[in-house]
Amino acid sequence: MLETMTKLKYERPFIKKMSVGMMDKSAAQSEFTPVNEIDGVAVKELIREYGSPVFVMSETTLINNYQTALQAFRTRYPKVQFAWSYKTHYNNAICRIFHKRGSWAEVVSGFEYRKALNNGVPGSQILFNGPDKHEDELQLAVENDSLIHLDHFEELFVLIGVCNRLQKKARVTIRVNMDTGVQPIWDRFGFNFESGQAWQAISRIATESNLVFTGLHAHIGTYMLSADAYGIAAGKLSDLALRSKKELGILVKYIDLGGGFPGSNMLKGTYGAITIPSIDAFAEAISHSLRTAGFEQNELPLLILESGRALIDDAGYLLGTVLANKKLSDGRKATIMDFGVNILFTSFWYDHKISPAGEPSAYQEDAVLYGPLCMNIDVVRESVRLPLLNRGDHVVVHKVGAYNMTQWMQFIAMRPPIVLIDTNGRTHLIRKREDLAYLEQPEVLPGYLA
Amino acid sequence: MNKYLHTIRNSTGELLTSYSLLFFSTSQWFGLLLLLVTFCKPYAGLPGLIAGVIAILLVKFSGLRGAGVQKGLFCYNAILIGVGMGSFFNWGFAFWLLLFLAVLLSILLSGVLMNQLFPKGLPFLAIPFTVCFWVVILVSREFGAIDLTTRNIYWLNQMYAIGDNGLVNFILYFENLPMHPLLLMFFKSVSSLFFQENVLAGIIISIGLLFHSRISFVLLVLGFLASIGFNSAVHAYNDGINYYLMGGNFLMVALAIGGIFMIPSVYSWLWALVAVPLTFLMVIATGKLCVLLGVPVFSLPFSAVTLLILYFFRVTQQTGRIILTPLQLYSPEKNLYHYLNTKKRLASETWFRFQLPFMGEWIVSQGYEGGITHKGDWSKALDFVIVDAQMKTYSGYALSCEDFYCYNKPVLAPADGYVQELIDQVEDNEIGKVNRQQNWGNTIILRHAEGLYTKICHLRKESFKVKQGEFVKKGQTIAACGNSGRSPEPHLHFQVQYTPYVGSKTVYYPFETFREKKEDTTSVRSFAVPLETAKVSNIITDENLEQAFAFAPGYRMEISADGFDTEYWEVFTDAYNQCYLYSHTQQSTAYFIKGSCYFYFTAFYGNRNSLLYQFYISAYHIALFTEEGTVVTDEFPLQWSRNNPGKWLQDFAAPFVIFRRLLYRSENRQGEGSYFDRETRISSRQSLQYPGFERKANESEIVVREGKIAAFSFMYHNQVKEALCTVKL
Repeated sequence: MLETMTKLKYERPFIKKMSVGMMDKSAAQSEFTPVNEIDGVAVKELIREYGSPVFVMSETTLINNYQTALQAFRTRYPKVQFAWSYKTHYNNAICRIFHKRGSWAEVVSGFEYRKALNNGVPGSQILFNGPDKHEDELQLAVENDSLIHLDHFEELFVLIGVCNRLQKKARVTIRVNMDTGVQPIWDRFGFNFESGQAWQAISRIATESNLVFTGLHAHIGTYMLSADAYGIAAGKLSDLALRSKKELGILVKYIDLGGGFPGSNMLKGTYGAITIPSIDAFAEAISHSLRTAGFEQNELPLLILESGRALIDDAGYLLGTVLANKKLSDGRKATIMDFGVNILFTSFWYDHKISPAGEPSAYQEDAVLYGPLCMNIDVVRESVRLPLLNRGDHVVVHKVGAYNMTQWMQFIAMRPPIVLIDTNGRTHLIRKREDLAYLEQPEVLPGYLA
Repeated sequence: MNKYLHTIRNSTGELLTSYSLLFFSTSQWFGLLLLLVTFCKPYAGLPGLIAGVIAILLVKFSGLRGAGVQKGLFCYNAILIGVGMGSFFNWGFAFWLLLFLAVLLSILLSGVLMNQLFPKGLPFLAIPFTVCFWVVILVSREFGAIDLTTRNIYWLNQMYAIGDNGLVNFILYFENLPMHPLLLMFFKSVSSLFFQENVLAGIIISIGLLFHSRISFVLLVLGFLASIGFNSAVHAYNDGINYYLMGGNFLMVALAIGGIFMIPSVYSWLWALVAVPLTFLMVIATGKLCVLLGVPVFSLPFSAVTLLILYFFRVTQQTGRIILTPLQLYSPEKNLYHYLNTKKRLASETWFRFQLPFMGEWIVSQGYEGGITHKGDWSKALDFVIVDAQMKTYSGYALSCEDFYCYNKPVLAPADGYVQELIDQVEDNEIGKVNRQQNWGNTIILRHAEGLYTKICHLRKESFKVKQGEFVKKGQTIAACGNSGRSPEPHLHFQVQYTPYVGSKTVYYPFETFREKKEDTTSVRSFAVPLETAKVSNIITDENLEQAFAFAPGYRMEISADGFDTEYWEVFTDAYNQCYLYSHTQQSTAYFIKGSCYFYFTAFYGNRNSLLYQFYISAYHIALFTEEGTVVTDEFPLQWSRNNPGKWLQDFAAPFVIFRRLLYRSENRQGEGSYFDRETRISSRQSLQYPGFERKANESEIVVREGKIAAFSFMYHNQVKEALCTVKL
């Protein structure tokens, strides 16, 4: 009988190093395990069909995250509402996945506001945040009975003007900043609690016949690692709400604690040494604080959360391909990928987990991962231990769902497409790859150059 | 001036009702018809009318109050006395004097009997009339100024005097109608209630009664045939039964037993059939005794047998086959339809309203008769945990309690109550281990009423927010979920018990309303027990609806609509702590119940052309929460359907079969406005259902804004009407 032998995979020469990385309870750390499919769809197939690089969003994970977060709060507090943070990912398909499940919209600019309206969100379920709301945008928000979160007094006065002109009432909420024991204090947004500015703003609003004081909002930071800080924030907002009822006779309808819950990505320089509180810890701190603040049972305010990152980060993947391997002058190995900081903005602060796809080599080595830009800053990972990769091999970057697809830039390379894998494992293109025509579409060529 | 008009109008109504009551009806047009019929013999009709008026005036001046007065309960016996005296005696001063005294006597007697019998749920029927009329007959022999009349013998002469030949011929036409002697006898018997033997009067009364109540009419026929049948078997009256005995006893007893004081059914009809021969015996037996006194029996046998049977059923256990009318609506149809409707709708009203003892969505990990620990005396218990989308109860590696979703979650009081018992010294178990020494772990027992307790177990040590003896409000946080006692992983154990002990046995007890998800279908269930593996959560009500339908006593509204008198409504609570909306303008009442998740009307009395009736129809049963796809369905009592052949057919068949239904459905949806002061629209639909098809009868919509009912629209004579509501403070 003839024995057939398959051709073994080529492996370039390497130096095998003694590997004693950080131990965790499973084994030595490595990013060795290959990831060949996402929600049952082969990475290879995704790249073959949509090209490389490509962002992939998992609807299953999104829904899971949303429901887990909602459950964490709803099993602790009777009235909870999530509002999807548009700036985190405002692709319409993604937004609608949240809206379909009852999420409201939280926007920070006029175009986001219009996007939310176009996505079918009722005006009264759009929270309009941010320090830069134009007068026409405020007018639009007033006309649509949206919840306007005021950031500063100037904005308040502009809004009063708009309302008086339209002869229409506006619902306002004030954003409050405060000391929650966490540095830095985000005191550049909203009105300060400790100095009495917040109360001053509330009192001012109460005198305006065209303003309906509706809620209180705080957003104490981003990637917050202390759940207690949220408990403190909820407590301070509750104080304002109770005072408002007592002194002004106004029942605060909702308390919005913003977002800022961390995802599970590792911040640079943390080396896995920190524990990231789960969403449950935040839910417990906030709910407990509100439940015990002293509200009457039937006057408990609605709790609104604008969580973005925690809901979407791990639902996003970036699939890429190795362009080349190099040896640097100091002896380190470098691998050049077809994606870089241009589309993976978050790699500035995260050490993104990167997994090989396909059948990787059994050996591994440290390498610098570079992007394709001819710019020195284009470093995806400064040091990552990966199996030996060859040109054309695919990799999967994990937890890239938040901010990348809004903060990405078109620089040197075009922005890649986004593919959504629905809950039935079917793929849908939800954003096309950019092309030259798209790039040049807003350009105007002066006549004399034509 | 208006006040006098009002009094006169009211009194006239009472008078007509009194006539109507002779056939156990309160219908005023039927009363008017009967009043006119008594004037077939004007010499009897006028004293009857005068006796009625005297009775009403006496009642008014004596300052009597209450529903009995308005319903004319004091006066119908007086009318009978008047008609009777007019039929037997000649008019004269002494006649009127005696009439006045007899009426007074009947009122006194009615008052006393009412006081004695009503608390036992028994009527006094025609006893005051019988007794008073005996007195009149007995004393009249001693009063020289009163003499028996011969008018009865020559009554056609009177007719001639009134209406000449025409009237006489008209009457004779009916007397000589070629009809079966039985039919003739039937009509004469019916007319004999007013001491007449007049076919025309009998026909008029019969037709009137048929229009008033089909069941009543059939029962009269039944009583008639039964007595004829019994007579032919025993050969008691060979020349046929005396019309008066027939009308005043056999027909009446069949009607009273078969349709009025019992809910009409096959069984009540059988009892009516049995009551007729019983009455027959009584007629003959008491007749013999009465001869000794020299008085006729009148309707004494009817009153006696009816009371006998009713008393018997009052004091014995009711089997469910014979239902004594719980609330007398003075129409067999109304009694039956109201009973059937209430039985179906309010069966759950006896339950205490419990909510689930937690927030958010939990899953029933072990239900009633669950195979693990819910066995024997402790089988009616529920275990709850929280799961994620993968149906896991924990995140991470399930190494510690904290990994479990339900651990440390707030536990709420299922209803108002007092803390009966607290156990708070058991440590949480390690995952996978159980503590069989302190089986129930940390436990709280709440006393909601005497003999009604709930027990929640396996709580976290030192998580209690309440102390023994403390009062807790429904929904208040009382402790946190833990893993103490016989609990291998954190979960919540809930049970209801009738005794206050930790080891008490469990009893079946439903929750008021909750949302249940099972196998991809979500439903809202009321007065039910969650099923094993179902995901359940409490309903969060819509504040807007909650406020608008709070209807606290004293709440007042003004309702105006095109083509209707503007009505003033007010919320009251009656002696039984039942709430109702009362339209001052239309003197109409709509009873309602407001649960924590639903509002519904239970009864309407009054003017069907009022706005209150339209509101009753529109808001018959509505959910106080707004959730897509939640449709409330219900059924109206059949008496609200309009007169048509279908209704009549149903009325005839009603004691045996119900084939016609008045269906109701309502659905809420968000209207305009922000989440915080939005408008909620409740659209409802009323339809008539026969087997095989359904016909829409009406559609209405209620608009609720800023916690108030702003308006409601409805169909009225094929026109859409809009009623505007303003709250009056």
